[in-house]
Amino acid sequence: MEGEFHADMGPQYEGEVIRKEDLYIEFGGPKAAQKFELATVKSPDEIENEKVEIIGPDIGDLKPYDEEKGGGSYPIAVLVDVAGGELDKDAEAVIERRIHMFTNMIEGWYHMNQRQDVWTRISKDCYKKGFNSLRELGEIYILLYTSEMPIIESIQVTIITDEKKIKELLPHALEVYAARDERARTLNDEDVDTFYGCVLCQSFAPTHISIITPNRIANCGAINWFDGRAAAKIDPDGPIFAIPKGELIDAIKGEYSGANAIEAEKSLGNYDRVYLYSAFEHPHTSCGCFEAIVYYIPEADAFGVVHREYKGETVVGETFSHMAGETSGGKQIEGRLGTGLEQLRSPKFIQADGGLARIVWMPKDIKERFKDALEAKGLYDKIATEEDVKNVDELLEFLEKVGHPWIKGEVELPT
Amino acid sequence: MTKTIAIAGKGGVGKTTVAALFIKRLSQKGLVLAVDADPSTNLDQALGLSVDDSRTVGRIREEMAEEVSKGRFSPVVSKQEYLFSKIIESLVESKGFDLLAMGRPEGPGCYCASNAFLRSSLDKLVQDYKYNYIVMDCEAGMEHISRQTTRDVDVLLIMSDPTIRGVTAAGRMKRLIEELRSNMGKVGLIINRVRGELSPEMKKAIDESGLQVIALIPEDPEMAGLEMSGRPVTELSQESPLQLKVKEIVEGLSL
Repeated sequence: MEGEFHADMGPQYEGEVIRKEDLYIEFGGPKAAQKFELATVKSPDEIENEKVEIIGPDIGDLKPYDEEKGGGSYPIAVLVDVAGGELDKDAEAVIERRIHMFTNMIEGWYHMNQRQDVWTRISKDCYKKGFNSLRELGEIYILLYTSEMPIIESIQVTIITDEKKIKELLPHALEVYAARDERARTLNDEDVDTFYGCVLCQSFAPTHISIITPNRIANCGAINWFDGRAAAKIDPDGPIFAIPKGELIDAIKGEYSGANAIEAEKSLGNYDRVYLYSAFEHPHTSCGCFEAIVYYIPEADAFGVVHREYKGETVVGETFSHMAGETSGGKQIEGRLGTGLEQLRSPKFIQADGGLARIVWMPKDIKERFKDALEAKGLYDKIATEEDVKNVDELLEFLEKVGHPWIKGEVELPT
Repeated sequence: MTKTIAIAGKGGVGKTTVAALFIKRLSQKGLVLAVDADPSTNLDQALGLSVDDSRTVGRIREEMAEEVSKGRFSPVVSKQEYLFSKIIESLVESKGFDLLAMGRPEGPGCYCASNAFLRSSLDKLVQDYKYNYIVMDCEAGMEHISRQTTRDVDVLLIMSDPTIRGVTAAGRMKRLIEELRSNMGKVGLIINRVRGELSPEMKKAIDESGLQVIALIPEDPEMAGLEMSGRPVTELSQESPLQLKVKEIVEGLSL
């Protein structure tokens, strides 16, 4: 590889850092408003194979960083267009992420972040060795993509430093990122073979394990399935690890043999079953760190939700902290479920018990935060808050009055 | 091997001044990561830099938690990688050293995950940047050190003013830190603004504190002048008593 380019390449350069004292010039980063990178799968006829196009001033045309005067930060957009018979839309994110790795493999180059946050630095040494064109960067990308990802049959790279042009293209990139996030949000437990377990909280609750699935975020609300996957890849023996999903035992209650096995192991034999989609039977354990508690209200035969920031009394007269004391500690408590708040958007949220339609009370703050999800199910004006009712008697009256679907018997439990 | 030096002490004892001088001096021998772990002081100003409040680790963690809780954080962007990248963006790069401000400790809620991500980010930062020294300006309670770093401290310098009460407080701090950290290297006491000889009562208080005196720093008139004009302490002349003492400490500890 050497000789053709003005820089050496290889995995040994991946950890290389370029501090300001060694900086020649940087693209993107906190000082450049316009920046992004985007990979797009196209049809072969839209691609001029191995073409590199530079739009805007090149490295050699730009004023470098100056120790006295500063400067040297410029906008950038990197577009990688690929085609291949086996490639589909889902591959775009994976291909795009490789820009990070490939740039870091070049001696004297440094790459951070992704999407509209990218940040690339070039060292003084690298420039001195003759690396003065982004064209060379584009050629290196093409070489690395085609040698490391044979699935790519044709590829073209466009690198833009013209601010106006980047500004023009950025909204499209943001749309693509948002669409990808949306697809990720619709990933279901059925679509994957691996769940993740988190025992970060075991120092507080030695029998607790958070089971993280595409439909179930960790109790603390901080770790989703994608985070679990990333963390387990970095440190497979760490506190966040892969769990083979195993056999599906009950699709409605969310019972999986793999989840049961890990529950038995990590709860030190206290429990051997866990239902991921129920607050009644074998509910998920809680550490002490959950964002919210789902609690059973016997008079309404339904559930309330309360979150940590809510300081007042709930409709049953207990505060969050009072309830938290009873819910925490790594125990399975029927009718009590510690949960991440984002769970309210999950299609599997207490699915076996009637889902979101079985919630009758929540603090106003939560109701507003999840307004879209509640409106989508026609529940927004059916659920009482602290502003509507003060106790269970008032709650029952309220539910009658607004015609809550659970109270009216319109919610059928899945069978 | 990265050497970690923590400088602790209650407010007003000149801890941040000494930390800044340490950082400057060590940055001539190797690359330094300066950590401002005391939200009530201003290591940045002492070093002649300025960090705006949005660039503290605490703020980064809060903002990420808020985005996540509102469902706005991308589900496919790894939080661990994101946190690391924001920490890199927050580094204030200077000649021979980088400054990282920790900001406020956490509020209510669960921080197990985000602190775990922070710990691994800080470890990765030190590993990638190959710092020769880490100098931490710590708050009295050492909250950040106990929760957000896994690093062992090679040298802990506790500072006090020349009062019985100050020395007694320094002794308490030593015991507290020893409880938090199983692996503690050398621990020493620095008494600042000393005028003349120590009184017999002071000597007795030092004995009782269980601390070993590493240095007595005399009152530095030049320092008072700098403070009044709001200039960074790094502008102190090399011959000033403070500079000379810091030099002596660095040499004495063979850093």
